[in-house]
Amino acid sequence: MAKDMTLLWGSGSPPCWRVMIALEEKNLQGYNQKLLSFEKMEHKSQQVLDINARGQLPSFQHGDVIVNESYAACFYLESQFKSEGNKLIPDSPAEQALMYQRMFEGLSFYEKLNAVLYYDWYVPEGERHDSALKRNREALSAELKLWEGYLQKLGPTSHLAGTCFSLADVTVFPTVATLFRFGLPAERYPILAEYYALLKERPSIKASWPPHWLENPKGQDSLQDI
Amino acid sequence: MDSSAPRGSWPLGKVLKVFPDKRGLVRSVKLQTKTNIIVLQLTIKPWPRTVLWGAGSTPCWRIMIVLEEKNLQGYNQKLLSFEKGEHKSKEVMDMNPRGQLPSFKHKNYVLNDSYAACMYLESQFSQGKKLIPDCPAEQALMYQRMFECLDFHQKMAIVIYYNWMVPEAERHDSAVKRNREDLSAEIKLWEGYLQKASGSFVAGKNFSLADVVFFPSVAYLYRFGFCEERYPNLAAYYNSLKDRPSIKASWPPTWLENPQGQDLLKDL
Repeated sequence: MAKDMTLLWGSGSPPCWRVMIALEEKNLQGYNQKLLSFEKMEHKSQQVLDINARGQLPSFQHGDVIVNESYAACFYLESQFKSEGNKLIPDSPAEQALMYQRMFEGLSFYEKLNAVLYYDWYVPEGERHDSALKRNREALSAELKLWEGYLQKLGPTSHLAGTCFSLADVTVFPTVATLFRFGLPAERYPILAEYYALLKERPSIKASWPPHWLENPKGQDSLQDI
Repeated sequence: MDSSAPRGSWPLGKVLKVFPDKRGLVRSVKLQTKTNIIVLQLTIKPWPRTVLWGAGSTPCWRIMIVLEEKNLQGYNQKLLSFEKGEHKSKEVMDMNPRGQLPSFKHKNYVLNDSYAACMYLESQFSQGKKLIPDCPAEQALMYQRMFECLDFHQKMAIVIYYNWMVPEAERHDSAVKRNREDLSAEIKLWEGYLQKASGSFVAGKNFSLADVVFFPSVAYLYRFGFCEERYPNLAAYYNSLKDRPSIKASWPPTWLENPQGQDLLKDL
């Protein structure tokens, strides 16, 4: 099963990481994979374009089936391998509703992070404004407070949708990990920091930790003042 | 009569006529009893489902299509006005701290994201139409298109709502031009997808959640003056789905009142 799967990915890319966590959780280790470099523009290479016309990573193939959007791949894997590995969608309506809600809020969270970290990547030089970057930072700050609040209401040692690890954690943890990689102050967001500390020990997450983060344990500090 | 009296003692009446509402649900009946002809209003016990929505908003429309497809009509709903800032009212903020619409509640469970609400409804309710195919290949394609649709919607929103999203001092003609080119490229991609699709729906032979999220965005294109001739597969898709009962029933009321849209996308 895993041998029929191929993942093209980039190190430190949250969307790629989501799919890798899901594969680990469903005991699908042993899938074919190729690490590509964004800096060398390998995501626009022919081998990616053959699977993904958008020239983006991740690009994921299972036999003849291609699912490139990370959330799509996560849902597909959970649905096709429901009884394998860990259950990633809770049965209880309350937890399920919360899981879906947090997963999709997670998209907004990820976008706001990118709008700060990769502002210069997304916006051509002639169109950049300090006012815009300032606003993006404020939006990220407000977003962080929301998530800090969500975790606080659930109590300690909790996952995002309740007691159990779910697709909400699969999709949002990589964003949280990126925040701390880029210097988010743990003192300012203690509950988020606890969540991060708890989950980074999870086997599926350790197994898929970005290799270049292991090589260079010290990250950057773009977010130290958020 | 005394409603606590045993049923066997209730006077009998014959239904002479039913009065369906615009959805075809019967709300009133004309009854002939021994002594009289009376018209009774039937009140449907409110479902524990509430939707707060804004007309013409694609995310709101998606949820309403799913409610219709799952035979969950009869939900409590309240139409709010974006222009009047009602999406930031206390009523919305209590359900959604982000002050955004739609805001959807089932029992005590609040789902403020349209995709979340749609997926939750499909998971919880097996009645009505099945919206996620069983066949792995079709399912994979459905998920893929559902999430690609987020890109499509964003690229459209940045063109249509540029002036609303970007403060005046930060606007650039170069950005407007690039956004239009990006949207154009995105539309070409979907035209290709529809051309290759094995059926008349975006993920194949069956109407699915991919259509639930894609169709409202497509309808938006045409509402804003997008030209039908240039992309025939997209036009065929739009024209075939706009008559689907769930889509007709949830069509934005403001669009019905003002059939003439805008022409921002005429030259795209």
